[in-house]
Amino acid sequence: MRHYLKVFALVAVLGLVAAACGGDDGGGETGAETGATGGTGETGDIQPGGTLNLAMVGDVSSAFDPQKEYYSVTWDYYRCCLLRTLLSYNGKTTAEGGADLQPDIATALPEISTDGLTYTFTLKSGINYSPPFGDVAVTSGDIVRALERTADPNASVGGYNFYYNVIDGFEAFGAGEADSIAGLETPDDSTLVVTLTAPSGYLPYLFAMPAAAPIPPNGDARMGAADGHTKDYGRFLVATGPYMFLGSENLDFSLPADEQTPVAGYEPGQSIQFVRNPSYDPATDGLRPAYPDAINVTIGGDNNDLYNKVQAGELDALADGIVPPQLLRTYSTDPTLQPLLHIHPSDGVRYVSFNMAAPPFDDIHVRKAFNLALDKAGMRTLRGGESVGEIAGHIMVNSLEDNLLADYDPYATPNSAGDITAAQAEMAQSAYDSDGDGVCDAPECSGILAATDEADPYPEQAALISQNMEPLGLVFDIKSFERTTMYAKCNDPSAQVAICLAPAWGKDFPDGYTFADPLFGSAAIFPSCCNYSLLGASSDLLAENGYSVTEVPSVDEMATAANQQTGDARFQAWADLDVFLMEEVVPWAPYLFDNNVNITSARIVNWSFDQFAGEPAWDQLAIHPDAQ
Amino acid sequence: MGRYLIRRSLFMILVLFVVSLITFIIFVKLPASDPARRAVGRATSPENVEAARIAFGLDKPLYIQYGRFAKGLIPWPGLFLDEDVYYSYANFVPVKEEIFGRLPVTLALAVGAAVCWLMVGIPIGIISAVRRRSIWDRGSMVFALIGVSAPVFWLAYLFLYIFWFRLGWAPPSGIPIGMSVLEAVLTGRFILPWAVLSLTFAAFYARMVRGNLIETMGEDYIRTARAKGLSEKRVIYKHGLRAALTPVVTMFGLDLAGLLGGAFITETVFNLPGIGQYAVNAIFNNDFPSVMGVTIFGAFFIALANLLVDVAYAFLDPRVRYT
Repeated sequence: MRHYLKVFALVAVLGLVAAACGGDDGGGETGAETGATGGTGETGDIQPGGTLNLAMVGDVSSAFDPQKEYYSVTWDYYRCCLLRTLLSYNGKTTAEGGADLQPDIATALPEISTDGLTYTFTLKSGINYSPPFGDVAVTSGDIVRALERTADPNASVGGYNFYYNVIDGFEAFGAGEADSIAGLETPDDSTLVVTLTAPSGYLPYLFAMPAAAPIPPNGDARMGAADGHTKDYGRFLVATGPYMFLGSENLDFSLPADEQTPVAGYEPGQSIQFVRNPSYDPATDGLRPAYPDAINVTIGGDNNDLYNKVQAGELDALADGIVPPQLLRTYSTDPTLQPLLHIHPSDGVRYVSFNMAAPPFDDIHVRKAFNLALDKAGMRTLRGGESVGEIAGHIMVNSLEDNLLADYDPYATPNSAGDITAAQAEMAQSAYDSDGDGVCDAPECSGILAATDEADPYPEQAALISQNMEPLGLVFDIKSFERTTMYAKCNDPSAQVAICLAPAWGKDFPDGYTFADPLFGSAAIFPSCCNYSLLGASSDLLAENGYSVTEVPSVDEMATAANQQTGDARFQAWADLDVFLMEEVVPWAPYLFDNNVNITSARIVNWSFDQFAGEPAWDQLAIHPDAQ
Repeated sequence: MGRYLIRRSLFMILVLFVVSLITFIIFVKLPASDPARRAVGRATSPENVEAARIAFGLDKPLYIQYGRFAKGLIPWPGLFLDEDVYYSYANFVPVKEEIFGRLPVTLALAVGAAVCWLMVGIPIGIISAVRRRSIWDRGSMVFALIGVSAPVFWLAYLFLYIFWFRLGWAPPSGIPIGMSVLEAVLTGRFILPWAVLSLTFAAFYARMVRGNLIETMGEDYIRTARAKGLSEKRVIYKHGLRAALTPVVTMFGLDLAGLLGGAFITETVFNLPGIGQYAVNAIFNNDFPSVMGVTIFGAFFIALANLLVDVAYAFLDPRVRYT
């Protein structure tokens, strides 16, 4: 999710430029890959070897500490290269099974007890750590160690340990009230038994997250190799994947933590270097072909200049860049360059969020009218045109619902440009339209407090929204904030922001839970995050924050029930929740499912997109033998 | 002299404290949202926010919060940019380690650019002054106007695009992984950054030298020198230029010191891992300890340069006394 916060600034600026250059005719997906893997080389061209040269505009978010990193770019580095987890993904698109969990360190998917409360994992043998722990095999206790570190709020600052609270005793251990996590048992070195407080079908996904990657033992130290590195384990990270940081073999864990020298392969803010892990046995791993011999990443620089380097062959790709609009146009229209352009859904959604306790959005007809009046195509044009994503007709991205709602849009309008007539018909049913003429005439419809992001193109989008809603009689008092502040304002019920114009959300793992609970669960209301609509807020909370509304809808029960499902029933349950939200609750006006757009140098063959992280699968990219 | 130095040193410390206080207020107290929440990101739990609050010391009274940072101002081993407080929560590295690790890049950029702008700006200013209203003067002032008017970021993009991407005459931006700063200098990696950075400064210096020299050449003692039969060359270089360049020393000291605190735009566009790039990243990441550290470091250089310039001034200009 944090991926979004970091890249939005770039997206915003470039989107505006694109709009200025002609907008929606510039995206052009013609010839570009739009879902399926688009290999750019013959089978014989795909050979191991060479160095993959990448760049990042900004650094990773938390210096590679697996408990803290909450950034999709880093998650892909972990998945492709550094860290193996009990379960993982194949580094491909949804259509190629990229959203499906695969056994990695585990021999198979976990066995689940009939009551859904106990998950049993069995570990493979022969998976060793990178040097200096090259002769140490991964055991179930190492997973427990990682989760104990995850439970520690000091080691997880900025991380996502809240997802693991479903494990029995996890919170108590984090709070210092228990010596161990009661819900984690290791009958032997190759078995891990996880007990939950309540059935939660998303549990297996948590064991494919970097926070659950094993940490090797180191003598008697409770946190093993991470002991004493509460803040900075990332620069001392011990790998299990096909790669490790350059210089990992020189780590000396026999020294006190503050006397240890970090790896040479990661200089914060400057560079990252992965080299092959000599302890890695490909026979234990069916997920990572690991074609490049090494991966070098420079950090910093200007986005446009870095893409010039990709064009010039100085770099092979950017991990966090935004393809400049004029370059996107060139690559999408030039047949010789089209194979180097890669466009894939990134499983993120952009939306407008209504505060359902704040007038006039406490009226469902006003919220529906807003959805009908919104010019979603115009919103997309302001972001850069068709290539930036697909018009969103519902809340959860399609891959989380197995495409069950791919063609669903209860507020579809001609050309997605909004339908004022239909919107006014909806508004006419509202209590805020006393004369039923389709125009809100209540004082609550004037000076509606709206928060937006001050960075481009959000001000332009806010202006478009104002223009769209004027025929409905909705007049906004738009306040622009720096992005983090905007999110804080939207999240804080006492700020009484009636409508949040610029939020976005991306999945953390390929399951509907990652959209349902953090966005619509009552437990995600301030001081947690990010239920801006206040669904499920108690009457006390509403009163404390000065709302005259005493009740708002809740989907807690529906989400909890969905979370207990597994398999196809789970997809259907999330889709049902999505439909219920869109038609019966209407907390949002979703308008765009984001794309990830990349270009690669001509050296690269076997392009692959990792749907889990929403990033290129670096281990699967190969360098053409002639260019190695 | 001794009392003067002590007084100026104390004043320097006062300046640093004022700068640190303002920075503290701007980054910790003025933002509309909770710094702890900004640090942990959007999707988080109350427990994580609380952990960040404690880690930052934001749970303590305001004067204690500031006091923690203020201690790091004292230029004494163990206190200056103390690692317990001046510790980046963006990349989990002590701020001091980052600043001193990046200093060679910033030094190479600043010193190289300074040499360039002096070598270009001063001669242009002199030629322009001694050949007033000539084509040299007009040309020089057009150069100065362009140099002063062109934004550094625009020039940087333009130079990179033309001289690297289009023509291939200069190396690309950045320092390749594994290359030392010295190797980068020797392989021309700093040519474009020096050119961009020095162009603006050279233009300023050319205008200043021209103005000062024209004014000096109108002084009585210059007329006297000419009346005594000295050659024009000697009049200009021995008598005129010395007085005309004195203000340049002041400006040069401050400019160089400012750059040592980080050439923010140049380092960012050219991807030079110096202090300026670090500062920009810190600001974008809301990494307050780093911002504070860089600000203090930059302010320290400028205050120190002020002191050194004032001391040097008295040597250059006998009319100045240490009072």
